[in-house]
Formats: sequence, C-alpha cells, structure tokens
Amino acid sequence: MRPRPVTALVLANLKRQLRDKVGMFFIVVMPFVTIVFVGMALGGGSADAKLPVAVVADTSDPVSAAVLAELESAEALDVRRVESEEEVRDGVRQGELAAGLVVTPGDTSLDLVMNQTSGSGMAARSEIDVAVGKVSAVLEATRAAWAAGASPEQADTYVRKAQEEAVAVTTTSSGRGESAEPTGFAYTAPANLLLFTFVNSMAVAAALVESRRIGMVRRSLAAPVRRSRVLLGEALSRFAVALAQSLLIIVVSRFLFDVRWGDPLGVAVVVGLFCLIATGAAMLVGALVRSPQQAPAIGPPVGIVLGMLGGCLWPREVAGEPLNTIGYLFPHSWAMDALLALSRPSAGLGSVLVEVAVLTGMAVVVLGVALAVFQRRALEAV
Amino acid sequence: MTPALVCEDLVKRYGDKTVVDRVGFHIDEGEAYGLLGPNGAGKTTTISMLVGLLRPDTGSVRVGGIDVAEDPVAAKRLVGYVPQEIALYPDLTARENLRYFGRLHGLPRRALTARISEVLDMVGLSDRGDDKVDTYSGGMKRRTNIAVALLHRPRLLILDEPTVGVDPQSRVAILDRVEALVAEGMSLLYTSHYMEEVERVCTRVGIMDRGRVVADGTKRELVAELGGTDRVELVLDGDVNAAAEKLRAVEGVSEVAVTGSSSLRLLVVGGRHLLPGLLSAVAEAGAVTGVEVVEPDLEAAFLHLTGSTLRD
Repeated sequence: MRPRPVTALVLANLKRQLRDKVGMFFIVVMPFVTIVFVGMALGGGSADAKLPVAVVADTSDPVSAAVLAELESAEALDVRRVESEEEVRDGVRQGELAAGLVVTPGDTSLDLVMNQTSGSGMAARSEIDVAVGKVSAVLEATRAAWAAGASPEQADTYVRKAQEEAVAVTTTSSGRGESAEPTGFAYTAPANLLLFTFVNSMAVAAALVESRRIGMVRRSLAAPVRRSRVLLGEALSRFAVALAQSLLIIVVSRFLFDVRWGDPLGVAVVVGLFCLIATGAAMLVGALVRSPQQAPAIGPPVGIVLGMLGGCLWPREVAGEPLNTIGYLFPHSWAMDALLALSRPSAGLGSVLVEVAVLTGMAVVVLGVALAVFQRRALEAV
Repeated sequence: MTPALVCEDLVKRYGDKTVVDRVGFHIDEGEAYGLLGPNGAGKTTTISMLVGLLRPDTGSVRVGGIDVAEDPVAAKRLVGYVPQEIALYPDLTARENLRYFGRLHGLPRRALTARISEVLDMVGLSDRGDDKVDTYSGGMKRRTNIAVALLHRPRLLILDEPTVGVDPQSRVAILDRVEALVAEGMSLLYTSHYMEEVERVCTRVGIMDRGRVVADGTKRELVAELGGTDRVELVLDGDVNAAAEKLRAVEGVSEVAVTGSSSLRLLVVGGRHLLPGLLSAVAEAGAVTGVEVVEPDLEAAFLHLTGSTLRD
C-alpha cells in the first residue's frame, strides 16, 4: 500500500505527458530528425563517402602487410600509404584524414593517430580496430597452435582453415545488409541524446509549474500522504520521461543507424546519472518559475546553450578552447566524453570512472538543491 | 460524541501581518457550519490550517479527536477537502482524475472503480466521466472538484467557496447535493461570501472579518443580537457616497454601506418610523428610486458585526 501515492503521481504525470502532442513530437520525432541531418552533415550515411585513412607500414614485414591488407579490404575505408608519421599527423590535424595508423615492424603496439572528438575519427577507429583485431587473432591462433606442438606449417594450415570457416560464418550474417558503413551518427546520436534529454526535461517542467498553479500539488498534499511521497512522485515522473527519451534514442539509433553504444553497464550508468541531473534541473525550474508559459521560455534555451558548450550541437573540435573549458562546468561535456569513450571497442565502465565521478557529484548537488528548493517553495508555502 | 472539528486559538502571521488572529470554533458530528466573510477575511488561510496544509504559528486543530499536528496523515483521512480553485488535471478525464486521487488515498483498486462511478453519479456526471476536464463547463468542473473530495467517504467535508463562477443551474445542483450529504449525516464546513448559500445550507454560522471570528452562533442567535434593528436597502439616482455621509448623521442609523454605484444598505433602529427622515436626508444627494425595509437577517447581522458588506 505504501508506494501507491508515488505510483499515482507517476501514472498521472506520464498520462498527461502522452496526451501532450507538441511535447511528444519533440520527444519522439525531433531527436531523429536532428540525428539524421547532423549525422549526414558530419559525413555519415552515404555509402560512397569512404573514410580517408593513412597508413605508414613496411610491407616486407608480414604482420604489417597483413594489417594493411585487412584495412584495404574494409569497404568503408579509403586507405592511403604515406611515408612518415609526420604526414599522418598533419593530415589528421587538417581534417584531410579521418585517422592514421603507424605500424612499426617488430613492435606489437601500433600508433593510432586520430581526433577523439571527431565523428569520422571515431568511425575510422572502429574500422581500424576490427582490422587489427583480425590480424592479431590470426597471430594469437598461430602462436597457440605452436604452443600446442604443431609445426609452423601445420599451425598455418589450421589457422587458415579456421579462418575460412569463420569467413563462411561472417558471410551468412552479412547477408542482412550488415555492411560496416561508417557513420557520423556515432557522434550525433550521443550528442542528441544528451541535448534532447536535457531540453525536453526542461520543457516537461512546464507541466510541474502548471500542477502548482492550478493547485494540484496543494490538493495532493491534503490527501493522507507524506510530503516526501509527493516530492518523490513528482521527481520520479520527470526522471521517467528523461529516461524514456534516452532509451528511445539509444534503441532507435542502434537499429536504424547502427550506432554502437558500447558497454551496456557503462552507458546505463552515464545516461542514468545524466537523467538524474536533468531531473534536478527540471525540478528546479518547476519550483522557481511562476507561470507555465515561463518554463518553456527559460528551460529549453538553457538546455540548448549547455548543449552547445558540451559539444551536442557541433563537434567540440570546431569550438575554441575557452568555450570547451567553460563546457566542463556543465554535465553535457562530461557525459559526451564518457559516451564517446564507451563507444570504443573494449571500453567499459572502468574507462570512464572520472566522468562518472564528476557526473555523480553534479547529480547529487543539482538534485539535492532542486529537491530542497521544491520542498520549500512548492510544498510548504501552500 | 467527539466533535467533527475543533480548532482553538489559530494564529497565522506573514511578516508583521496577522492574517488569522486567534480563530477558534467547533463543528459537531453531523453539523453544517458556515464560515462567512468577505474576500481577504482569512477564510482560506484558516482552512489551509484545518486540513494540514499550513502550520499555524500557534493554536491547535483536532479532526475527529485527532490532532492534525501530531498525526496529519490520520487526520487527513477523515477530511474531504474541496479547494476554492479547480484542482484537477485539465488534460485528464474526470474518471482519470478521480482514479489519481483514489490512489493517493490508498483506496483498493476494485473498490475504487466502483466508487468512482458512484461519486460521478452523485454529482450528475456519469455520462461525461470519460471526457477531458478541460472540455467541461465551469459548473461541471466544480462538481468534479467536489466529487474528488467524496471518494474516500470523509466524515467532514470542507468546501471552500464551492460555487464561484458557476451558472445558476449548477449552483442549485451543488447546494442540493451538499444538503443531501448533510442529511445523510456528514459534517460540513462551508465557506462562502454568498449569504443566501450559507443561510440555506448551514445551521450554525461563524462570521469572519479581518482574520477574526467576530461572532458565532445559529442564524437566530446572530440575528437576535440586532435587537429591533431593521435593514434598509436604498436605490438612489445620484452621488451614493455623499448620500452615505448624510445618512450616517441621522439619529437611529447605526451602519451605512455602499453596495453598488446606485445602492446603499443601512441598519436602522425602528426603520419604518425613520423612513421619512432618511428620505429627506438624501434628497440633496440624489433622487431615491427605490426603498425596501427588510426584517433582520444574516445580511443585516453581518453589516452590524463588520461594518461592511460581503460583496465589496
């Protein structure tokens, strides 16, 4: 019986949200319109747009040659051979190259040159990771065969056989059009997730202001429930909308644009924290603003500005250093860093601990302040 | 029997302004009590303290013997509160609004569905229950507003100006419904600035003015305080304020209030005999177009106690 007041509030608020056609348009349609257009502008989508990648490699070395061959076989990449690492760095810096790879014979670690905040860089990186992964798998398998007592010749045969079988498997699965198309969406999907989750949370705050204005909050408090239940119910309602917005973007972009989000746990933690911050911001607006018309006038513009600073509207590489530094005062930049890091293969929650710690701190502060203010402004002064 | 409501010595201050000043009254089980006062008299602030929304600076409230400050949740369970504003989600239907409040009250799911139909029927909205509240007329919204408070079968119903902005037909329907509830044994606190509503529904009346309950008793008791005073209503074509000045100077006139751009209300001892004197006193200020001498009633009692009219 105890959680019923909270459920009552959440259900009523969600029902109201679903009836708000304009609001639902901004939650369901707008994010994808933005993802598609910005994603295409950033060089994703069209099949002929191959990612330019430069490679420094000595083909007399079998490993280097194998890596090069794998890269050249990747449809998404336009591989160029260059002579020096210097050329690679210049190309990446000037934006002529999505990424570069320096392979030193005899050295097992390869040097990847890329811009971490560039969408095409991210896409090129995942292609390179796949190619290098294949080569290293062959090396590992061969080494394992040797260790098991096979002669070098036998080991080669086994591995080639295994590879052929593996290729057969990949061929069947690629029949579903799983061409490894590089996407600018790898950048715009997380960017718009953050942008829209925050902006729409702020817009949803209007419903909260409306509830206060028409006396719903007051009347709910006259029911036999504790204040904390009403507070929790209102906060959970906003959190549910933020979470639904995020999940929608994650799921749709995964299936429509083939965006790889990475480690589910890491993404869940980062997105969950970001939603808590957005909830706090919404509750704060809901408590401070007087008329329901003011909330949409204040909330979304704030959300958009924070999104700009956080690299949600354009890649941060095009903004200046001062702007990016200011951006790190707000949650968007941190969440963006975390989501981009998580989208790299083999990255997990452990790779974004700093970002998670900062976001946790922000969530605690914003939510704490918001709940205290809401408690005082909306629940006690009735 | 435990009284339905007892409040004592309620005080609420905002800064140095005392909005409610040592208010106290009680409502017996099954009694209909009216709180009458002009806008700004402190009625709504008092009610906010009674229903546990506002903490009084001093004083206590007991609902059905339960101290609101000590156990607000138990006390609120006994109260059905209808706020002055239409507190309903406009984008939800009446049924959905009722379900929301029913859940808030912790009513069991199946019983709630049946009860929702019952209260919709009570307020005559059975056929519109599935329409959104923002498609309703003012009267229908008011009736839904009341239905919400009846859901959990409260022992005490508190209605704060339940007929504001309502068409005459809905007003009659609301008053009929409230009377029927009282006849069934529900205790009632009814606030209004419409004298005739309180006269009709309530057996006992508290008159509230500037944060204080200035008189409290049955209608008969309040009117008896007036002694041989009559109420005189004057309609005048001319300067009402100048006329009021002149009338105040007439011997036997205890109160004069301007009730409109061309009307005045007076309390007069021995009204009938004084009538010629009154008419000659206002002759300079304007031409009298109508005079009515009324037996003492609540309206007269109110003017006597507060020196003002209810609707000003």
